[in-house]
Amino acid sequence: MNRTIRTLLAAAALALAAGAVHAKDQLHLYNWNNYIAPETIQRFEQQCGCEVVQTYYSDNEELLAKLAAGAKGYDILVPTSNAVEALIRGKQLKPLDKSALTNLGNIDARYMNTSFDPGNVYSVPYAMSTTIIGYNDAKMKELGLPTDTWAVIFDPKYLEKVKGRVTVLDSANELFAAALKYLGYSANDVDPKHWDEAAAVIKKAKPYWAAFNASSYIKELTVGNIWLVHGYSNDIFQANLDAIAAKRPFHILQGMPKEGAVLAVDNMVIHVAAPRPDLALKFINFMLEGKNSAELTNLIGSGNPNKAAMPYIKPEILKNPAIFPPPDVAARLEQLKDLTPAQRRLRNKLWTEIKASR
Amino acid sequence: MAADARRHEAARARWLVSGPPLLYLLVFFAAPTLIMVLASFRSPGEFGGLAPLRDDTGALDLNVDAYVRFFTETVYAQVFVKSLVFALVTTLVCLALAYPLAALIARSPKKSRDILLLLVILPFWSNFLIRIYAWMILLGPNAALARAVNGVLGWFGAGPVPLLFSSFAVLVCLVYVHLPFMVLPLYANLEKHDPALLDAAQDLGASAWQRFWRITFPLSLPGVYAGAALVFIPALGIFAIPDLLGGPDDTLIGNLIKQQFLETRDWPFGSVLSIVLTVSALALVGLAAWLGRGATRGAERVGA
Repeated sequence: MNRTIRTLLAAAALALAAGAVHAKDQLHLYNWNNYIAPETIQRFEQQCGCEVVQTYYSDNEELLAKLAAGAKGYDILVPTSNAVEALIRGKQLKPLDKSALTNLGNIDARYMNTSFDPGNVYSVPYAMSTTIIGYNDAKMKELGLPTDTWAVIFDPKYLEKVKGRVTVLDSANELFAAALKYLGYSANDVDPKHWDEAAAVIKKAKPYWAAFNASSYIKELTVGNIWLVHGYSNDIFQANLDAIAAKRPFHILQGMPKEGAVLAVDNMVIHVAAPRPDLALKFINFMLEGKNSAELTNLIGSGNPNKAAMPYIKPEILKNPAIFPPPDVAARLEQLKDLTPAQRRLRNKLWTEIKASR
Repeated sequence: MAADARRHEAARARWLVSGPPLLYLLVFFAAPTLIMVLASFRSPGEFGGLAPLRDDTGALDLNVDAYVRFFTETVYAQVFVKSLVFALVTTLVCLALAYPLAALIARSPKKSRDILLLLVILPFWSNFLIRIYAWMILLGPNAALARAVNGVLGWFGAGPVPLLFSSFAVLVCLVYVHLPFMVLPLYANLEKHDPALLDAAQDLGASAWQRFWRITFPLSLPGVYAGAALVFIPALGIFAIPDLLGGPDDTLIGNLIKQQFLETRDWPFGSVLSIVLTVSALALVGLAAWLGRGATRGAERVGA
């Protein structure tokens, strides 16, 4: 009896030891869905002899809420700038060892040394998107509607023609930013009077919108149910690829509003409790190589802050002004800043009033 | 002596059996509820979460701001009332649909009953979200349903109405998702009814309607209340359905709570909204139980 137990224990210990030998090093990447090309991951795994374990979030708030509740075990996160700001203030990030980031010089200086992370102590730009207008080209042409102004999303004069065929993002911050831009203010304006004006604009336009939607508008655009959206440039790019694949008789195009729009720069950062900061640094440096960075842009049509990536990017994407805006347009793009708790409460009140109003 | 030991043993067995579920409830229901109550009196953290319990001066940072906000900014109460109405309508429609269905199953031959019950719970075999997405396709403007409805409306000269992204879509799906929760308790109740009672009533000259209204329905009230609670409470707090199928006006209390924990990063206010939700759900269930007791007593009188 005793011997049997001892034999079993020995066998179990052996199995454990064997497991330990075979277990690969792991890098835990907490990323947006579909935000790295599969071939890029494969190449990194080969290079580092490790395994990349990816988990996903669908918005910054989900990431922040999870970390605020004490989630651990992630090495790399890819938050948008305003979330990086919150993470830095919350002391959730580890300073980067720049000596390990030999490719850092590849990033365009315009995207370095930002107000939310001076000197890039914690963050390195990864990819970008803009929040713009997406539209069904056949329908907009048929109805004679402009596609280069927020007026088409907010002005009842235009909306009358597309009533029930428009969706806007289900995000108070994004929609207020668009309305503030439409009114000629900064997207980061925090004057409560201007917020009231923006809320009034939104309330007046709301009866014409089909829904506040951040999840299924790509599909609705592709199948032709929705003709006009306030949405993310990557999503609109995806909707067009899907429409082409489905041989639809229209394209889904990106419209850059002349009033300006929100630019979202997503950044690679290392979580303060990262189990493998060494692998994380290797990964960041790997993603700063032009070819690896370009693969993401080619896959999802994201903007790219990496100068060394340009030669690898498909020419049709490089020519797209919504993805690589010319300097005059780029000057009107703004990154959202994080709000204070009091400002968030006020915005939520206005947002709820908007949603509850008829 | 032996009787004492037996009683002791019975008590121990009772604890052994009921201990784990009690502990489970304590750990996973009572403790989180307490944390929520505490959180509702604290300040929101900048990064999300909660601000430190003691501020820079070391004073306790406890306040009723979030409660004051709920009771002064009427828009939140407005959304709350709307959610109550949606949940109530869902419960009533479920009852109207489930009652005949449950009665049909209860009166079918024993062999086919199991199959019919299986059909009722069959939808649970596929994921909730997938079923909601399926409804998005069914209700879409180019689907047959929307075309048929708008064709008929066009006949009467009424403009086309969108089915998807509307309160209608939200209600349809609320009913669809919760219907089995009404059918099952109703069936469990109706199946136990003694047919002799109805025969006796018929012999005494009661019409079909009288037999239902004076005998079957009062006897089934415990099932009705159980089903109503099982439908009403989850329907009250749901957020996925209005998020996916609702139009611009269809924000319910569940969406508001989700917003507080995500976009607004205001956990104290989210806790207040959750507490109001829990308290009103408890109050309504308490009311239903009280009514149910009265009804059961009434039923006993009928039975006697």
